[in-house]
Amino acid sequence: MFFHIVLERNMQLHPRHFGRNLRENLVSKLMKDVEGTCSGRHGFVVAITGIENVGKGLIRDGTGFVTFPVKYQCVVFRPFKGEILEAVVTMVNKMGFFAEAGPVQIFVSNHLIPDDMEFQSGDMPNYTTSDGSVKIQKDSEVRLKIIGTRVDATEIFCIGTIKDDFLGVINDPTTA
Amino acid sequence: MSEKGGKGFSLPTKTTPKSALKSTPASATARHGKDDNSARSKRGRKVQFGTEGLTDLGFNFSSLKSDGKFAIPVGKGDWAKGGKGEKVVNGGKAPVAKEAKSLELRVEQELPENVKCLMDCEAANILEGIQEQMVMLSQDSTIKLPESFHLGLQYAKTHSYYTNPQSVRRVLEALSKYGVSYSEICVIANTCPETVDEVFALVRSLEAKKSRLSEPLKDVLDELAKLKKST
Repeated sequence: MFFHIVLERNMQLHPRHFGRNLRENLVSKLMKDVEGTCSGRHGFVVAITGIENVGKGLIRDGTGFVTFPVKYQCVVFRPFKGEILEAVVTMVNKMGFFAEAGPVQIFVSNHLIPDDMEFQSGDMPNYTTSDGSVKIQKDSEVRLKIIGTRVDATEIFCIGTIKDDFLGVINDPTTA
Repeated sequence: MSEKGGKGFSLPTKTTPKSALKSTPASATARHGKDDNSARSKRGRKVQFGTEGLTDLGFNFSSLKSDGKFAIPVGKGDWAKGGKGEKVVNGGKAPVAKEAKSLELRVEQELPENVKCLMDCEAANILEGIQEQMVMLSQDSTIKLPESFHLGLQYAKTHSYYTNPQSVRRVLEALSKYGVSYSEICVIANTCPETVDEVFALVRSLEAKKSRLSEPLKDVLDELAKLKKST
């Protein structure tokens, strides 16, 4: 889910950036440092929407760097346990399938796929129901529920399920 | 203390990966005791992809370390080979089934209070605005939008079913006086349900208020259906 959140960060600036454009330099350094990163608490920082406050700079002892505490607003994307997401399938194998929702990768194990769907290997590996009416393959859109998350340094990885009511394939790419 | 704990975690996985696997379901149920036990149970929970480890950063690191070592001997980081990993999920199914009841959205508890949930359509508007600004600022080639921005924007755009986020917000606000939280309202807006049953199936935390919510939910869903984009 997307969130709009206020975060704070201490930015260090080299004296060569001081001058008329101090604030612009600070903001562009902030954007370079923060946009695209990911943390366990807030999820992916997708974009910075504005700067709320730039505090007074503190000169660091020994070096000429100055530390500014910056409060900024940003849009973050964080998946939650229990959340319903619609994701696009990227890979299918006999252990389950991988899907992507925005910047987040989700894995759905075959134990969390309904029992009437079976893995079919081949050029386009897929999961199909016994009557062939529903198919999950690469580029299918699937609605799933997140049941767990794990955070790495640069990305969030989730486990999902489609074994509940109203979950499963939304859109079959072959019929589209 | 945490360093000691870290060393303590890595040793068991190095020497006894298989027994660590077998012990995780049992230790997952042991919640009290020394650091080792609680850490192992947290590690076990990590394997089961619980989120409780996330709240404690110290343990997060150590359990990530042990996870890294756990993943390597088992499947060399390749999920397709993660047969043993899957066995743990199976073995841990009893605690997972108990957790199924707690698989309710608990956004408000987990995030600080000044956080505002965004519906996908609102997020799409904001991100599109930023992208337009970036086009103007693109003379400075050092400012580039990160990949997660493009993925996020694409996701938000494909999932925004409503033309006017403000009217959607107004319609769903009617639910908040029945005790529906902001995050639950966002989930309802994002999933675009067609029936009241779908809402209760997808947002389990509302089931407790089913009797009170059924009627107003039906009205809200009818209103939302009118606001949907015709694609």
